[in-house]
Amino acid sequence: MSDLDRYIQLLRSCKPIPEASVRELCYKARELLIEESNVQLVDAPVTICGDIHGQFHDLMELFKVGGDVPDTNYLFMGDFVDRGFYSLESFLLLLSLKVRYPDRITLIRGNHESRQITTVYGFYDECMRKYGSANVWRYCCEVFDYLALGALVIGAGPSIGGDDHAELEVIQTTGEAMRYRRAENGGFVTVTDRSSNNTITSKPRNPDDNDDGDDDEDTDDTTPLRVLNSGHPTGTSAASTFSPPSHPQSSAILCVHGGLSPVIGSVDAIRLLDRKQEVPHEGAMCDLLWSDPDEIDGWGLSPRGAGFLFGADIVKTFNHANNLSLIARAHQLVMEGFKEMFDSSIVTVWSAPNYCYRCGNVAAILEVSEEGGGVVRSSGERGGGVVGGVGGGGWEVKMGPGRRYRVFEAAPQDSRGMPAKKPQADYFL
Amino acid sequence: MASLSLGAPRSRARPRHSPQDCDATVQSTDNDAASSRLSAVRAQYLEDPFASLFSPPAPLKLPIINRGTYVRTTAIDRLVHAFLCDSPRTPAEQQSRKQIISLGAGTDTRFFRLYPTYSTPNALFPIDLVYHELDFPTLARKKLSTILSHPKLRSCLSGDVELNNDTGRIHSDNYYLHPVDLRTLIPGTTPPLPGINPTIPTLIISECCLIYLSPEEAENVVNYFTSILTGSLGMIIYEPINGSDAFGKVMVANLATRGIVLKTLEKYETLEKQQQRLKSAGFEGVGTADVDWLFENWSVDVEKERVAKLEFLDEVEEWRLLAQHYAVVWGWKGEGWIRWKSLKSQAGG
Repeated sequence: MSDLDRYIQLLRSCKPIPEASVRELCYKARELLIEESNVQLVDAPVTICGDIHGQFHDLMELFKVGGDVPDTNYLFMGDFVDRGFYSLESFLLLLSLKVRYPDRITLIRGNHESRQITTVYGFYDECMRKYGSANVWRYCCEVFDYLALGALVIGAGPSIGGDDHAELEVIQTTGEAMRYRRAENGGFVTVTDRSSNNTITSKPRNPDDNDDGDDDEDTDDTTPLRVLNSGHPTGTSAASTFSPPSHPQSSAILCVHGGLSPVIGSVDAIRLLDRKQEVPHEGAMCDLLWSDPDEIDGWGLSPRGAGFLFGADIVKTFNHANNLSLIARAHQLVMEGFKEMFDSSIVTVWSAPNYCYRCGNVAAILEVSEEGGGVVRSSGERGGGVVGGVGGGGWEVKMGPGRRYRVFEAAPQDSRGMPAKKPQADYFL
Repeated sequence: MASLSLGAPRSRARPRHSPQDCDATVQSTDNDAASSRLSAVRAQYLEDPFASLFSPPAPLKLPIINRGTYVRTTAIDRLVHAFLCDSPRTPAEQQSRKQIISLGAGTDTRFFRLYPTYSTPNALFPIDLVYHELDFPTLARKKLSTILSHPKLRSCLSGDVELNNDTGRIHSDNYYLHPVDLRTLIPGTTPPLPGINPTIPTLIISECCLIYLSPEEAENVVNYFTSILTGSLGMIIYEPINGSDAFGKVMVANLATRGIVLKTLEKYETLEKQQQRLKSAGFEGVGTADVDWLFENWSVDVEKERVAKLEFLDEVEEWRLLAQHYAVVWGWKGEGWIRWKSLKSQAGG
């Protein structure tokens, strides 16, 4: 077994690796990352993930739900560290997987991958606590400076305005996966309700049936799906119409941690930035990592004190000019795990369930299928938990590249093998 | 409420908590309040020269916690100042006293912060203010010893100061520390505490206090005061709300791992229920708002900008989520309250 495989094995069990090994790993990672473009090209199929924030056990849950590396291609949109109690193990595991399988995993930079932010939000303190010196924190920060600023997912299929390839899957405590799928006639959105007779489910899974579930997964596409209210755009809240996409031919997805910048008009402009530095307080690079979409016209000031707010018009103009079908970004807590905005031209993906062990939210990942293929399948999808945002309220899946959202809950407490010191969230008392 | 852990460390596995344990847990919440206050002061959200006297040095809290402490403190301060400044119309009124009764005051510093503004001979707004603090004897004794060991605190007490180290009691002209378990205050039975004047304008403050009592006990405490205080009366409650949504459920579960139970959370879980609570207790007007709303609506723009610049707040969504789970409720009855009546309220009025 190579050193690298040994590190991966240690990190997978949430154990830190020796300081010298971190230095070596970070050195190798830098050599690899320095060759990457500011905007990495990534081929579909790929699974796009949002913020992780040191929630190691929930990252393991994510791999259970989405499939393991290297079986599944992953793209993580930054904010690996801070807030959670295992930033170090989470980031180093992702980094070692990156070094081991460079073509199967893409890491881009979030606003927390920064010296200044990590000293406020926990990663620095965690390194000091676990190693007694700031060396490991320094090695990691040097890697942060080399992370790509974005990624462009190409080859996503099937026909961006596709027929029946947008899907929402909710993983439940029972191990059952609930599916919500767009109508195959292309005319409607299909919505299910757990309590409804029309509920669309895959077959119930045996909770004991852990990670070896690949085989029966392949049968999922044959699971009969019942379309609600087919052909009737009016009617119940369980269905709604969608608008045809403005660019049915385009299929590229821009992935970036935060969002757009008023000084960036094109994807090519991102490619021209000098990224190998600490995240600046302002300017294009800062904006890409800090900005948020908002229901405004044009640009607005951000309440975060860095980056900007940008409205639907900005997104639509940018997507049109750059032949993008979608912008996928992370950065904002979404209680339902993901949130599409502006006619599905941008989506927020949030992958840290019960954020900070306090927020009670579910998490999501976004699976993008390749052209001509179905949505990429995971290996094993043992259940995570109960759904907060979908059941009962009705769900609408809109147009876009063949995409499936998988929604999951925080890893159960007993899987955490929690340290004597329980994580304690702060409240006002 | 205020703090001091009692007895030996408890075993993690102990299945049941004795009443003493529960009291000690509640008392320990004052450590959180004191360390949060100190953190907000060190990060320059608040000015409070007394905060460091009541809390050992501790790491800074996260920006959203600092901001929450800031909003909670400034919102209550604003209501307190409005009560104290409510224009006395006649010379007789000007000479009249006002009193504040702080329930479960713990290590709160508000009296000491108010003193230079209102009570010194050269005060900007001279008011004859008497401040009463109530808390468990354990916490009162601790506070008494802190006050005695810092001349900066001791010098705020005026007139003849009578104190008892064993009970934690302090009686002075302008400050009373009452070592008392609030659950022993029974309406119609317990006589008024020493120094409390039942006829002068009074403000009662419960900052994360009544919520640790059972619904019946909490109601008794309010009824006890409304029955003995016959003058103009106001009340401020600050406590968690919305315990049944996704965030609220996790909050309840997380606090339960510390043995903390928010006993009236369910009964008064919305702004509307909080409003009804004080109406039912006989208050003629009631305002309510959550902390998120208060930050947006009570802070002037320059102050919001100042606070926004103190730290990077990369937690905007989390801030709003957290802040929407804490409410300030203020109710009034009787003469005065002109300033309170003109304050913007999120719900009620």
